Amino acid sequence: MSTDTLDAVIHAPARLRIVATLAALPDGDSLSFTRLQDILDLTPGNLITHLRKLEDAGYLVSETTGNGRASHTTITLTRQGRTALDAYTKTLRELLGGL
Amino acid sequence: MQGTHDIDQTTTANDGNGLDPREAARLLAETKRDAQRQFSLSPPWISAVMGAVILLGYAALWLSTRGQHPYSGPSAGAIVLVYVAVAVSIAVSVKVYQRATAGVSGPALRKQKVEGAAIALSYIGSPLIQGAMYHYHASHTIVYGVIPAAGPLIIVGTTVLGVAASNGNRPQFITALAVVTGGIVALFVGPSGAWLAAGITLFIAVVGYAAMTRGRFLHPQGGTDEHRHA
Repeated sequence: MSTDTLDAVIHAPARLRIVATLAALPDGDSLSFTRLQDILDLTPGNLITHLRKLEDAGYLVSETTGNGRASHTTITLTRQGRTALDAYTKTLRELLGGL
Repeated sequence: MQGTHDIDQTTTANDGNGLDPREAARLLAETKRDAQRQFSLSPPWISAVMGAVILLGYAALWLSTRGQHPYSGPSAGAIVLVYVAVAVSIAVSVKVYQRATAGVSGPALRKQKVEGAAIALSYIGSPLIQGAMYHYHASHTIVYGVIPAAGPLIIVGTTVLGVAASNGNRPQFITALAVVTGGIVALFVGPSGAWLAAGITLFIAVVGYAAMTRGRFLHPQGGTDEHRHA
């Protein structure tokens, strides 16, 4: 088994940390962009880039309310994203067991 | 931005190709542990603080009532000490809650708030019974000893027991069951002994709960079903 079997969308340091952090919340709960950025210590631009990639894969949804400085973005891990992380973790364990 | 990680600034679909599986596993475990700490409403350190506060408060109540014949109740100094300890505990809990839930929203948090309100409401049960006992001229042994010592453990403990059972939160369930059992014991060991029994029970419960949930921080499991309830 090679690393190719790992989900390429999750298998990147920043995205792995984003998904793992959101998965620590109960199913359906959301986290604000600013809190997520604070926890992960990423720049806003970098975080947006990775969030977009995860959102395109259907692993999370983001919702923005308000405009300009008053805007507030929340991010929620989808059921699909949670399942993908579980599958990624399982594959990783199998890979490490075989190494 | 100074001090922030700017890895993967130019991301591509294959930007994880250089990530070693061992490194990925380490990063995953570390992130889960950090996230659980961030969102936890009862981090181990707060349990240690609560344990110390409980020991101090209940020891003061027990020492001030030990050997009283007839029983008259805790001294004013002991009561003031307990009120200060409770105020400190509430302030610390509020701070921890605000930190853990900052930026978090959703159905689970709303449910947790309702459960928190129910638990907070159950705290008035014991003073109400105490007031009724006073109204019916029950002895000081009952009004200022057995009821205030054992009542909160049984009433609040039972409420938490129900919440823990509905959430399938095993550490919380075991802890609440121990508290209720300790409360029942406290009912039958005399007024001064009730304070001692209540203090020992709460201390063991708090420390035991910290020990049960500590393992989650040190050895996060691979699954993603860890909740803030821990």
